[in-house]
Amino acid sequence: MSTPDDMTPDELLAMDYALGALGRAERKAAEVRLRSDPAFRALVEGWQATLAPLDDDVAAVAPPPAVWAAIAAEITPPPRVAAPPVVAEPARGWWHNLALWRGLAVGGPVAAALAVVAISTPTGEIAPQANVPAAAPVGDRLVATLAGADGKPLIAAAYDPASGAVAFAPVAAPDGEAGKVPELWVIEGKNPPRSLGVIDISRGQTHSIPRERLQGLKAGAVLAISIEPMGGSPTGAPTGPVVATGALTAA
Amino acid sequence: MKANVSDGAQALAALLARAADGDALAFHDFYARTSAKLFGIIVRILPDSGEAEDVLQEVYVTVWRKAAEFDALRASPITWAATIARNRAIDRLRARASRPAAPVDEADDVADEAPDAEALVMAGQDAAMVADALAALEPYQAAAIRACYFEGLTYEALAAREGVPVGTLKSWVRRGLIKMRERLGGAA
Repeated sequence: MSTPDDMTPDELLAMDYALGALGRAERKAAEVRLRSDPAFRALVEGWQATLAPLDDDVAAVAPPPAVWAAIAAEITPPPRVAAPPVVAEPARGWWHNLALWRGLAVGGPVAAALAVVAISTPTGEIAPQANVPAAAPVGDRLVATLAGADGKPLIAAAYDPASGAVAFAPVAAPDGEAGKVPELWVIEGKNPPRSLGVIDISRGQTHSIPRERLQGLKAGAVLAISIEPMGGSPTGAPTGPVVATGALTAA
Repeated sequence: MKANVSDGAQALAALLARAADGDALAFHDFYARTSAKLFGIIVRILPDSGEAEDVLQEVYVTVWRKAAEFDALRASPITWAATIARNRAIDRLRARASRPAAPVDEADDVADEAPDAEALVMAGQDAAMVADALAALEPYQAAAIRACYFEGLTYEALAAREGVPVGTLKSWVRRGLIKMRERLGGAA
């Protein structure tokens, strides 16, 4: 039988590295070798493959949904601004501009990760993806554009604090899953997602969300949409796939 | 080393290929299928769940960015992703100045922990073979290997925890690993 004495220093180093037993400096040194030395890398990969089945002994732990929301926000390409700053119709507010919404909507299922969230000021200017002040003052209009991974906006939502209504821009139905509905969530910091209720994003519907649920909404909070059974999540937390997320920014 | 060509691995590899093309939905599917396993691995090394969540996020952002580099001929998708997770968790652990030594009886827990039935069924032959190979070692060798691998402990940290000289512990572990690999039929 072989013993450690029969092994080359590289073989020992590969084994120790794959096991994870090296200290910080030795690990860094081994990682430099990994990048530059295919023979050494092959030794390490051999040990990694040998040890990998041990991972099956580790109890799986479901991560909280906020982790995916954070990942989705990070992997989405820098969101394109949905439209050039629109000269709003002050009387109605630019968020009533359906032409803008239609411009945002694209065909295809509601499928992707995330988005731009812009917040309009009372004067109706769009401040796309601007630097973010601490919080959206109560009373500001909030606008979210949830886009696909390719940067094309898929869903747009606007919240009018005056009426308490949230309007969704026309988009395609979410993948035609029978008996499933989209549910809107807000995730604040490391807190569990808080439901803002089941929404209909298929036909530009307007919804009322209870005011108390929207209180304290701040820049930095993440909006997410998950696909849930009819009537919404039975558990109070997202149970279906999270199809879109986006961080709130303030104008 | 035999390649893992199970259906699960093929499906994961296909999802990774789509993710490499920028398909975030496919990547979400990959996340949904793998994140509990990876998070389990990370939490074992970093029991502080906030820290573990940060690392999990970092790992999947890395997987997304490196999806195009994944090579199905060199590793199974889950092994590839789990390796990234272990390495990131260990890097985070090493970046700390020091970590309070866990009492020795925790090490016993580690040694005694058996995979649950479902995990064994899911894992199939590989896991059973490795479990056999570990079981064939001296118990102290198996426990030391598990402590390094699962908790991300250095030889030095584990030696201190167990109250044995570092050289002795290193020898236990290395001899154990070589024996394990020989039993599994790999080159030693």
